[in-house]
Amino acid sequence: MTETTATGNYRVHLVDTGESYSCPANRTLLNAMVALGRQGIPSGCHGGGCGVCKVHILQGEVTTLAMSRAHVSKEEEAIGYALACRTYPISDVVLKVVGRMRKSVVYRYGFI
Amino acid sequence: MGVMRIGHINLRVLDMVAARKHYEEILGLMPSAEDDKGNVYLKGWDEWDKYSIMLSASDRAGMNHVAYKVESDGDLDELKSRIIEYGLDVEMVPPGTLPFCGRALRFWMPSGHLMYLYAEKEFVGKAVGVNNPDPWPDGLKGAGVHWLDHCLLICELDPPSGINKVADNTRFFTEVLGFRLTEQIMAGPDHTVQAAAFLARTTTPHDIAFVGGPTLGLHHCSFFLDEWADVLKAADVLGKNKVKIDVTPQRHGITRGATSYFFDPSGNRNETFAGLGYLSQPDMPVITWTEEEIGSAIFFHTGELNPAFTTVYTEGV
Ligand code: FES
Ligand SMILES: [Fe+2]
Repeated sequence: MTETTATGNYRVHLVDTGESYSCPANRTLLNAMVALGRQGIPSGCHGGGCGVCKVHILQGEVTTLAMSRAHVSKEEEAIGYALACRTYPISDVVLKVVGRMRKSVVYRYGFI
Repeated sequence: MGVMRIGHINLRVLDMVAARKHYEEILGLMPSAEDDKGNVYLKGWDEWDKYSIMLSASDRAGMNHVAYKVESDGDLDELKSRIIEYGLDVEMVPPGTLPFCGRALRFWMPSGHLMYLYAEKEFVGKAVGVNNPDPWPDGLKGAGVHWLDHCLLICELDPPSGINKVADNTRFFTEVLGFRLTEQIMAGPDHTVQAAAFLARTTTPHDIAFVGGPTLGLHHCSFFLDEWADVLKAADVLGKNKVKIDVTPQRHGITRGATSYFFDPSGNRNETFAGLGYLSQPDMPVITWTEEEIGSAIFFHTGELNPAFTTVYTEGV
């Protein structure tokens, strides 16, 4: 689980689905997932602004870029919550998906 | 008289360096000022006022406010009394409160978004000037957008609780600010829920739009381009720069605009928009889209709603 390949690819495991995919060190967890056509983490703005890609890093080391505090508080960040679109792996990672596409009460009204 | 057009939007960005690269190098806006708080002001080459985008560094993405320009200073007094009469709180703030602008009316829309109305903003001029101008300036960067065209705000909508801020805003904008409803989406079992509204003051299909959602937010701000080929070229620029594209170039049913959506580096959605769709005149009948055709209303070709497009947005206050 901790081994990395020579090319700097890390494994990202989603505990929710049991699936995993490969993420290069220079791509975010979300970007690598969508580039492979994979699913599991909701994909939104890819800028740390919308919050749909929120994850909880359960194992592994990551670095993150600025994330909107509307979605990840300082306290949450300290215990491993992050936005997958702002997160680069520096080891293999095990995560749980927290964010969701907003399923609003008004979905039945056909919009949003 | 009254409201003329969108004047500017104040966006919050998580990383100013990345934001400046996006708005200046990729969209092609031109920087016109930077203040001592670090706010950056930008304008399109075809705009004549000092700025249409104000970027503010923050730890939350989204918008602080949107401002519309009125025709004359006296309009502000008249609009102030109309807003008070309607029952909203409004304050006249002194010149300079809105940077580089004269006095301004400050109030919250029924949806909770902060709005300003102003009559004067420092003049800079179009990049091509006014004497025997070229059709476009040399040295344009990236997409070379002309101007900030409109914004779309997410307004709280929860019919079972009797909440419809789309309808509340529409009523306020039409009855008080003199906007005209051009298009709407009617949802619900009997098509009685106004789930989206597009309103104009100019002769374009919309100068502002409201769409229902779970919480108030900023869906996008949109930049004008001449034509479809420019929207395609702009998407090439985005692809070259690995900008996250939400919706590749295509046509909206609503407004008939040629469109493409993408995100700035803080996750605020932008649009490049071409074609004026149609001439929206005061006597033009309102166009209504019904719930069953919402897919086509938004994405005319596929007729399918894309979940990210309708549920991903940044904060509206
Ligand atoms: S996709 Fe929007 S915050 Fe990550
Ligand atoms: Fe738009």
